[in-house]
Amino acid sequence: MESSRDISRDAYRAIEDIVGADNITDDPAILDSYAFQWLAELVRPERSHYMPRPWAVVMPLTTEEVVAVTKVCNKYHVKVKPISTGWYHWAAPLKDDEPTVQFDLRRMNRILEIDEKNMYAVVESGVICAQLQAEVMKRGLNINIIGAGCSTSIVASASAYFGGGPSSYFLGSNSDNLLGQEWVTPAGEIVRTGSLSSGCGWFCGEGPGPSARAITRGTLGTRGGLGVFTKCAVKLGPWEGPPVLQPTGKPPAYRLPIPDNFRVYTVGTPSFEALAEIYYEIYDNAIGYIFHRQFNLAGADLAAALWLTYLDPNGTMNDVEARSKDPEVQKISEEARVSFQIILQGRSKEDIELQDRILDEIIRRTGCYKVERFCEADFAEFTNMYLQRMGHKHCNFVWVGGYMGSWMQAGTPDFVKGYVKTAIDGFERDQKSGLLVQCGGDAMMGCGSTLGGGGFFALEQFVSYDPNDNASVDACIKHMEDAITDCKANGIPLGKEYLYLQIGWTDERIWDDLSKMPQQFVLNFQRKIKEAFDPNGLGDRNYPWLPEGWGQQKTIAAGSAAVAGVGKP
Amino acid sequence: MALEEFRADAMRCTRCTYCRWIPFDLIKSDRFAKGCPSMEAGKFHAYSAGGRLVTALSLMDGRSTVTEKTKDSVFKCTLCGQCDVSCKMCRYDMEPLAAMRELRFDLVENGHTLPQLEPVLESLRTEFNMLGKPADERGDWAKTLKVKDLTKEKAEVVFHAGCRYSFDGDLGPVARLSVKILQEAGVDVGIFGEAEHCCGGRAYGMGYRGDLDNSARHNLRAWKAAGVKTVVTPCSDCFHTFKRLYTAEAGSDIEVIHMVQFVDRLVKEGKLKFTKEVPMTVTYHDPCHLGRQGEDYVPWSGTEKKIFGQAVAYDPPKPRYTGAFGVYEPPRDVLKAIPGLKLVEMERNREAAWCCGAGGGAREAYPEFSAATANERIEEAATTGADAIVSACPWCEQNFGDAVEAGAGALKVFDVMALVGMALGIEEEA
Amino acid sequence: MRLYRIAVTIDAMNPPARPGEAPMGSKKESLVQIVGEENVLDDAGTLEAWSKDESFAPHRRPWFVVRPKDAGQVQALVAWANVTATPLVPVSSGGPHFLGDTVPSVPEAVIVDLSGLNAIRKIDTRNRIAVIEPGVTYTQLDAALAEKGLRIARPLAPRANKSVVASLLERTPTVIPRLNYNLPEPLRTCGVVWGTGEVAFTGEAGYGPKSLEDQWKRGASQVDPKGPNATDLMRIVTGAQGSMGIVIWASVRLDVAPTVHEYTFVPGRTLDELTGFWQKLTRTRLGDEVAVLNAAQLAQLVGRDAAAIEVLKAGLPPFVVVIGLGGAALFPEERVVVARKDLDTIVTGCGLTRVASLPGISPADVAAVFEGCSAEPHWKVRYRGASQQVFFLSKIEKVSGLVATVQAAAEANGIPAGEVGVYVQPQHQGVVQHVELTLPYDPGHARQAARMKAAVEKASRDAMAGGAYFSRPYGEWADMVYAHDADAKLVLRTVKGIVDPKNVMNPGKLCF
Repeated sequence: MESSRDISRDAYRAIEDIVGADNITDDPAILDSYAFQWLAELVRPERSHYMPRPWAVVMPLTTEEVVAVTKVCNKYHVKVKPISTGWYHWAAPLKDDEPTVQFDLRRMNRILEIDEKNMYAVVESGVICAQLQAEVMKRGLNINIIGAGCSTSIVASASAYFGGGPSSYFLGSNSDNLLGQEWVTPAGEIVRTGSLSSGCGWFCGEGPGPSARAITRGTLGTRGGLGVFTKCAVKLGPWEGPPVLQPTGKPPAYRLPIPDNFRVYTVGTPSFEALAEIYYEIYDNAIGYIFHRQFNLAGADLAAALWLTYLDPNGTMNDVEARSKDPEVQKISEEARVSFQIILQGRSKEDIELQDRILDEIIRRTGCYKVERFCEADFAEFTNMYLQRMGHKHCNFVWVGGYMGSWMQAGTPDFVKGYVKTAIDGFERDQKSGLLVQCGGDAMMGCGSTLGGGGFFALEQFVSYDPNDNASVDACIKHMEDAITDCKANGIPLGKEYLYLQIGWTDERIWDDLSKMPQQFVLNFQRKIKEAFDPNGLGDRNYPWLPEGWGQQKTIAAGSAAVAGVGKP
Repeated sequence: MALEEFRADAMRCTRCTYCRWIPFDLIKSDRFAKGCPSMEAGKFHAYSAGGRLVTALSLMDGRSTVTEKTKDSVFKCTLCGQCDVSCKMCRYDMEPLAAMRELRFDLVENGHTLPQLEPVLESLRTEFNMLGKPADERGDWAKTLKVKDLTKEKAEVVFHAGCRYSFDGDLGPVARLSVKILQEAGVDVGIFGEAEHCCGGRAYGMGYRGDLDNSARHNLRAWKAAGVKTVVTPCSDCFHTFKRLYTAEAGSDIEVIHMVQFVDRLVKEGKLKFTKEVPMTVTYHDPCHLGRQGEDYVPWSGTEKKIFGQAVAYDPPKPRYTGAFGVYEPPRDVLKAIPGLKLVEMERNREAAWCCGAGGGAREAYPEFSAATANERIEEAATTGADAIVSACPWCEQNFGDAVEAGAGALKVFDVMALVGMALGIEEEA
Repeated sequence: MRLYRIAVTIDAMNPPARPGEAPMGSKKESLVQIVGEENVLDDAGTLEAWSKDESFAPHRRPWFVVRPKDAGQVQALVAWANVTATPLVPVSSGGPHFLGDTVPSVPEAVIVDLSGLNAIRKIDTRNRIAVIEPGVTYTQLDAALAEKGLRIARPLAPRANKSVVASLLERTPTVIPRLNYNLPEPLRTCGVVWGTGEVAFTGEAGYGPKSLEDQWKRGASQVDPKGPNATDLMRIVTGAQGSMGIVIWASVRLDVAPTVHEYTFVPGRTLDELTGFWQKLTRTRLGDEVAVLNAAQLAQLVGRDAAAIEVLKAGLPPFVVVIGLGGAALFPEERVVVARKDLDTIVTGCGLTRVASLPGISPADVAAVFEGCSAEPHWKVRYRGASQQVFFLSKIEKVSGLVATVQAAAEANGIPAGEVGVYVQPQHQGVVQHVELTLPYDPGHARQAARMKAAVEKASRDAMAGGAYFSRPYGEWADMVYAHDADAKLVLRTVKGIVDPKNVMNPGKLCF
């Protein structure tokens, strides 16, 4: 009988034969560069920054290689976990005792097609948003770049994860935009969806009949838990700006000149009630190309100080500290406290002028205003750069390298308005320890809509902690637990902090929570889908399910609601 | 510094992968979006700056030991610093380039060296150059010049030719031209000739900190003895070494000027006039050590402090090196001043320039990787429609020249100063 | 070919219970117990009427027609069907039906007529969401929305008794491409009695309690169509022809109704001449309604009878792009002025001409087609007494060729090309083109009917061979489609096996 070591060696050799020796490794230090993941310290024993180390990392070049490697993994009962760019703790293997092959898909990085007339692009998993946007803009088109920024894989956000961002309001979320896709199941079979499976090309994601994408692309995708998405097509939208972005200025705050047919504004509102009112007006009036609440990620108390410093190529964090005490800057902070950014795109001079007029009228009616300093040319051009390319999203980590999003809730503007106070009070309370960055209770950033066309607002608290300080890490974990308690106490659905923490839990604890969901149909459905498409259990629980015998009888505590979705009432 | 001092950088890395790309704002195409030659060669995350921070952490914590693959991931890198620029787009508390250097020092100091580098280092230690040439041939390039010999005389300015200009016959004319321009401008300039030593910067990049110290000690002592206040060099490696490393590692306060800066100043002051047409379309390649790593060094000693509870600041404020203030415009302005010459830009330019592939010991240790990196740049240059790629660093030019010779393209390769010579109508013989 | 097992079992091919296992009498008694005597119909006339539609689907008599009045009755019916292995055919719209999906494919079926579930449960003006039951018709919803200054993205001239929910579940194209962020829009979330008899909500609603009222009490809306969890349950019931479960309510997105609305037209001699134009139009999201029609199609939509249709057809340009310019919310007049000017820039750039009216067609006629419901009799039967539709999705560059393919097949079977209606509806904001050809014929003329059947078959096969995507595979299209689409078949059969393992929901459709 073969020992497990023999099996490992054989599996390794078999995979090596498929991808070549240069494209597989089990070198411990290199594996650690995959095990090391953002947020790991929040869920791992002893605050370790490492998720379980993969058994090997493999870099396939083609779908056929993904299939072949997956079949080897089936033979040797090694789990598979794909990443495109790999920016989350849940991108890594989840359990220490489960040998897992990590697929790093960055070699699958081709833009296969840009169909200008039919307005879609076909990409492999390793293509990031910035690459594709640069190419489609040359054709007068644009992509929706998700909130996590342009460093992310399009396939990941469209097929496997969430897909909302500042431009989703106009360009559609990447769930809206998903057309044909190619999926390698954990069993190593290729499943194509939409028009692709009928041999008609990539242009349609629905049908024939019911849509096969339904089984993998819900609120979230399968997050690497149910095979590998190797290619997909996404819908493109109109871009009336220059074919190539030509930023000016010096790093870090490059500026993107604002063409005559664009407008870039930061709009301030007197309250969150007013924010909801102006949201509905903007929604009803159907204006806006990008609609986002960006700069509050730094916290309402410090946002002005941070971003004005950021504009200075010589600026340092010490300057932020000094600026934060400057009465003039404090005045701007107050003006911008409950604010958002909106970018208008016009087809013509008359079109942009009319949109401008409409916005001004909406602002007048709702008692809002333009934040003067943020609308000046330097800041507006920086805003334009930031939100059009989304290349500064790592500023999420600007304070100290640790960021965790709590209270990530999506819903109607009235729903958002209803929960922000709890979120602000809770965050402010937890900052008092000094173990989290003290940036004010409102560090709520988010996109105008996670649905194409608007109407579904989303905000999350940007909680900054020091990953190099266990006390600060502990404070962040406590904040996450507090947020869950606050949600339950106030009848607010649980947010992203819950999903983050779950990564560290036992199966049984997760199933216990899932079994309290008011509707469990989908979890049983997913169990059966998993049985069908993952018969050897190669995927992990990022694709969740409820085992037989769990659930149905218990109900979650009164006042709380859904537990496994992002911000779903 | 010790590797342990970069623990916080590693712990605070978020694995965002920005370090693999040029700053996203500057991406103009899919083809030329990538920023890290090492990642293109090694592919696995460990070949990025972020990956190396994890490697450092893993080694420090005893989670792994140094294997051949680990060494490959640490050393197969040109240390071009693109990752450093991209990381600092959003971070004020990270020094990835310094951390990667420190990781090399750590490996070398613990005996994990690359045998491929031994002959080069031997040459440095015995012949004081990086090219394996006899030390006594170092001054040959200047034999026809009438210039002060600083081993015997004193001067305010030393012209430091550097290893490549000294030994590469094709580049000798550039060095001679440079000296003539300095002299005609009335500069009190001298050279050390065969007594000139390598700056030591390349050895430092290879992970040999001690060899930089030796070079610095020698050169600074020699300059002091000759009364030198300013060093002028046409070599970007030397420029960076004198300006940044000597200041940081050896406390030097000598003024450092690259030859293109000097020429630029003369042109702008009207003291140097180009009289000959150079009918050519060229694209300028920013050498890493003149561009993003060519910023002024400001000595700093201090500690991290927390503000707003947990945000990281420094006491006293710590200068940032983001690539914003590298030497980008002087070479371009010189080229633009040349009659008949048209300057076109590559997509990746200034702080986003793709590396030539010659740095960090890559050329010596990993010739294929180095050549592939150069080929990539040649391909990018070719898309501009330029006749030639021009640089201000002999190492870049050598790598590009080799790439073109090996079939990477039909571009000509020039040093900025060579074009200056043409524009002045000065024909220096090789 | 597939190495892995399908863990779930599909009884799709199992025959329904044999006569004798569940005597007719007991079946009826059970049904009466569920929906009440007056809502169980089994008279010959009714059964005969439900045994066929306007398509060529083989006639098959259902055994009963039942008319549930609430979701509880629907759930009880599905539970009963599971116990008795009785096929259920859910139907929401009134007739005439054209696609064969409401005709039982197997014996012993019970038609579940949902027209009685016709409550508009809620109109949330602020969030622009309506929650409606499947029996709510366009006529009914239009009236309710008009009072609130709202509208819903709608299909072209639906019949007055067309169920809004059914139309959306079947992904019937809607006429305002810029609002079509994804093909199922404006459908958002659904309450579903699945084939197992379980009730589960889709999308955002799937996270809350299984009661709309309870969800509303908590301030929840039914806005987000995605989910719940990693599954998009709504996309399982769309395009399903009632084969996965019965939708008992659905939330739909509404839009602010324009207060200024005008139609304008860009005529062309051929489709090719217009293709670049409507591509640019949809790409820039200019205009509200955008549709491409040929003379025959427009005449059939507007003409009151055959004679009027002939007259209209003769006077109309061969093809026309109809563009609705709507001004809603603030500055409505100005919006229309600007849109018209921008439109002219595109028209001129394409070397075309815009006209404000078409011969014989009034603004009210156009508005009725795009904003209202078809006059009676339905436009599809007005010209020759009946018509068949061949429709599919296409990339834009293939539209013209595929239209020619279908026209050729029609002509080869004696159907005059001049009578064939052509309707191209850009969808998904211009990424997808819905191409629909209407082939009129006299149903009383047996030979014509036979030739029409042959024409439809040939047209469908030829179009499919030419790259047409039959995303809504009705009738015989299903066999054609799934024979070439192993991936979709595998996934759908797996899903069917989970949500309707007894295959009681409209068996014989699609691939089960």
